[in-house]
Amino acid sequence: MLERPAELLVYESDGLPGYHRTPSLAVFPASADEALAVVRELAAHGVPFVPRGAGTGLSGGALADGAVLLGLQRLKRIIDIDPVRRVARVEPGVVNATLTKAATKHALHYAPDPSSQTACTLGGNLAENAGGPHCLKYGVTLNHVVAAKVALPDGTVVELDADDGGYDLLGAFVGSEGCFGVALELTVKLTPNPERVVTLLADFTSIDDAAQTVSAIIATGILPAALEMMDQATVGAVEASIYAAGYPTDAAAVLLVEVDGAAAGLDEDVQAVDGICRTHGARDVRIATEPAARAKLWQGRKKAFGAMGRIAPHLVVQDAVVPRTKLPSLLARIAEIGAVNNVRVCNVFHAGDGNLHPNIPYDASDRAESERVHAAMKQIMQACIDAGGTITGEHGVGLDKLAYMDALFTADTLDGMCRLRDVFDPARRANPGKVVPVRYCRERRPNRQMVDGGGQMVEGDGGAGAGLREAATVVDRGGRA
Amino acid sequence: MSTVATPLSHAGASEHPCAAAGATPLERARVGLDSCVHCGFCLQACPTYLSLEDENDSPRGRLVLMRAVVDGRVALDDPDVATHLSRCLGCRGCESACPSGVPYGHLLEAARETLAAKKPLPLLARAILWVFARPGVLRVALWFGRMARDTGIAGELARLPGALGFPFAMLASTARAAAPDWTPRAARTRATVATLDGCVMEGLFTGVNRATERVLAANGYSLCAAPGQQCCGALHIHAGDAATARELARANIAAFEASGATFVATNSAGCGAMMKEYGQLLASEPAWRDRARAFSTKVRDASELLAEAGPVIGAPLPRRITYDAPCHLEHAQKLSAPPLQVLAAIPSLEHVPLDDREQCCGSAGIFNLIEPDVSERVLAAKMRCISATNAPVVATGNPGCLMQIGAGLWREGRGAVARHPIELLDESYAKREG
Repeated sequence: MLERPAELLVYESDGLPGYHRTPSLAVFPASADEALAVVRELAAHGVPFVPRGAGTGLSGGALADGAVLLGLQRLKRIIDIDPVRRVARVEPGVVNATLTKAATKHALHYAPDPSSQTACTLGGNLAENAGGPHCLKYGVTLNHVVAAKVALPDGTVVELDADDGGYDLLGAFVGSEGCFGVALELTVKLTPNPERVVTLLADFTSIDDAAQTVSAIIATGILPAALEMMDQATVGAVEASIYAAGYPTDAAAVLLVEVDGAAAGLDEDVQAVDGICRTHGARDVRIATEPAARAKLWQGRKKAFGAMGRIAPHLVVQDAVVPRTKLPSLLARIAEIGAVNNVRVCNVFHAGDGNLHPNIPYDASDRAESERVHAAMKQIMQACIDAGGTITGEHGVGLDKLAYMDALFTADTLDGMCRLRDVFDPARRANPGKVVPVRYCRERRPNRQMVDGGGQMVEGDGGAGAGLREAATVVDRGGRA
Repeated sequence: MSTVATPLSHAGASEHPCAAAGATPLERARVGLDSCVHCGFCLQACPTYLSLEDENDSPRGRLVLMRAVVDGRVALDDPDVATHLSRCLGCRGCESACPSGVPYGHLLEAARETLAAKKPLPLLARAILWVFARPGVLRVALWFGRMARDTGIAGELARLPGALGFPFAMLASTARAAAPDWTPRAARTRATVATLDGCVMEGLFTGVNRATERVLAANGYSLCAAPGQQCCGALHIHAGDAATARELARANIAAFEASGATFVATNSAGCGAMMKEYGQLLASEPAWRDRARAFSTKVRDASELLAEAGPVIGAPLPRRITYDAPCHLEHAQKLSAPPLQVLAAIPSLEHVPLDDREQCCGSAGIFNLIEPDVSERVLAAKMRCISATNAPVVATGNPGCLMQIGAGLWREGRGAVARHPIELLDESYAKREG
C-alpha cells in the first residue's frame, strides 16, 4: 500500500500523458483473495475506488481523483491453459503478450493484440474491450472472453459466462471501463496460429490513394488479418526510433496488410492485394514472409505511438471510428483541420476497421499551442461523428472523451447507460466520474423491477444490483447475502 | 511548431543547449526526461518492476520522480526518491524497449550525481569506490580475495546465510582449474589491439584475461601493452561519483593513446560500455573532448573483434550450455550477435536458449552488495530460467554477471558453473592445438 505523495506520483497518470489525478492511496493486492478483501473493505466503508492494470490506457480511464487506486498488476498468474478446449484461465494482471508466449508451445495465441500488448494487462483489456490490428479478422476482446469471475463493487462475487442463457451480462461487463466491478479471474479463448502468414507493405505518394485502397481490398471479399495505415509524420517518427522498420520516409502514406490462413490459396490472396495496391497508385509493394522480416514491419507499427515522444514532449492520442468508405474524405478533413489550427496531426490507425488514431505531438508548456491542439481535436472528433462514426474504437471513453458523449448520445440514452451501471454498482463507487457525464445519472429510488433466474419478481433491497446478484451465478456473497 | 522530428541522442542528457550554469546534472538533462510519454512499454523490460511489482521501481516511475524533483514537486532529499533510484540496477533494459528513445542510463547517472551532491552514498559504496579508484589498494584487496578463494575460506564463508554469505559465494565461484596450455599459431595480422585488464577481470579472472589474449592472437590480432591503465570508472559513474569517473577516464585515454593500438579491447561488458561513452563523459572538457571521442571509437568488446575475424573454428566441445546476455552488451552496447558468433565457432556445443536472457541477473556493478534484497529477488528469477535449461554451463561475458550467476549456481549446488564465452572458445582452441 502506498500513501506518501512522492510514491503516488507515477499512479497519477495512465498511458495518456496530460491528465493527472491523485489517488488518496494506492493498494496492490498480491492475490485474488486479497483483492476481494480490499473490495469488501472499501464497500464496508463506502469508499470509491478505481481498478488499474498496467496503466497503459489511453483515455485516462484508470485515474483516481481522490479515490483509492486498486492496482491489479500483481495478480499475474496464468492459472491454466487447456489446449484441447483452447482456453486459458488467467488472473487480471497477466500481460497480454505473456499469455501468447505461454500458449506458443501449443501453437496457440491470444488474438486481440493492442499495440501495448507487451505491457498491458488482460484485466485492462477486458475493462476497455481492447482491440488491436488483428481484430479486423479475429474480433475484439469481447469476442475472446468466455467467462469472468467478478467482484461487484459491493463485494459480491459473481460468475459471468458467455454460455449462460438470457441477457448477455458478460457482454455488458466487457468494456465497462472499471465501472461495473473488478474481474478477479478471466477465461479467454486461444486461437490456433495460422498455417501461413504474409505481410505486405505498400507505399503511396497520396494519402487519398492509400485510403481508397483500403475499401478496395475489403470489397474484393478478402478479409486481411490486419490492414493498417500510417502517414508520413508517423513513419518519420518510427524510422528515427530503435524500432525503425525500413518504411519509406518519403511516402505520403504506407499500408501494412497482413494475410493469413491455410497455406493453400494464400498466394492468390497476396497477389490480389498486391494488384489492388498497385492499381490504386502504390509506388511499391514489399512482401515479407519470413517471421523476422514480418516482425520488423510490425514493430514499427506497434511502437509508433511511443515513438512520437521524439517529436515533442506531449502527445494527444485520439481514437475514433468512421465507416470505412468515409476514410478518404475524413482524412482530407483532418489534414484541413490540422492546417487551419497550425498543429501537426500524425495518423496511424486500423484502416480496415475505419478505426482512426489521429495523434498530435505538442509542447504542453506552450499555452497557445495547447489550446490549438485541443481545438483541433474537438473539430476532428466532431467530423468523425458527423461522418456517422463514433468517439472510441478501443481506448474507451474514460475521462478524455466524456466531453464528446453529449454530441453522440441523447440524454435518454445516457440515462439508460447510468441505469445499466446501477445494476452492477448502485452505489456508484467503482471508477466514479468516468464514461457517462455525471449529470445524466439521475437519482433513482430502489425499485421492484428486477427478475431473478427463475423469472420471479424479487424485492429490490439495496438498489438494482441486488437483482444481478440473483440473476447471475453467485459464487460468494461475502457473508452479506 | 517544429516540422522536423529530431531524434534525441544521448547527447541530450549532457549537452543540452539550454544547459544553465550552476544547474544540477538532472536539470541539465531535462530534454531527456521530456521525451518520456508515459506509455509504459518499459515496465516488462524492468527486472526490478517485475520483482517488486511497484511502478516506483520501474523506469516510468523513476522518470516521474526525476521530473518531479526538477519541477520542484518533490524535494531532492525526499527519502522515496533516494530509495527508488537506488534500487535501479542501471541495466538499461528499458532503453531496448523504449520507442521514444529516452536516454535512461544517462538520466539515471545525472540523477544519482545530483543526489550524491546532496546526500553522501552509503558507507559501503563509498569504501568500494575508494578502493577501485586506487590501483595499489585494489591490488592488495584482490590479492586477499584470491587468497580467501584459493585457500577455501571463501567457500566455507559462502555457507553463511543470505546476504552475509553471498559475496563469498561470488568469490568462490571465480575459482578455475588450471588454464589450458597452448600457444596460438602466428596468423596474418589484422590489427593491433591493446586490452583493458579490468580490475575484477585481472584480479579474479586472470585466466580469462590470458585466454582472451590467446584467442585474439589466434584470430590475427597483434597485442600491444598499455601500461598506466586504471579502473574504467563504470562503478563510479553508476553510483553518482562522476568526478572520479572522469579522472579515471583521462588516465585511461592517455595510457591507451600511448600504446598506439588501433583497437582497445575488453572482455568485460560493463567496462566496454563505459569506455565507449568516454566521449560523452568528457564532452564538457575542451582539452579532452576530442581525445575522448577518438578513444571511444576505438573501443570494442573482444567478441566484436572475434566476430569480425570469423572467428577461427575450434575443436568440438560436446557440451550443453546456455547463454545469458550481459545488460551492458545487450542494452548499452546493443551487441546481441557477437557473443553468439563466438560460441558458434565451437563445434558440437549444444546451445539451449535461455528464456528472458536479455533480463538483468541482478549483479549491476556493486548493486548486489548495496541492495542485496532486491538483487537476490532479481537473481531468483534468472536462476529459475537457468534451471529450466538444465545446462551445466552458463556463458556470459561480464565479470559482474559471471560472479552473480556463479554465486547463484554455487549455492544451488548442482555443479553447474558460469563461464565467459571466450573461456569456452579458448578451451576449444587448446583442444585443437593439443
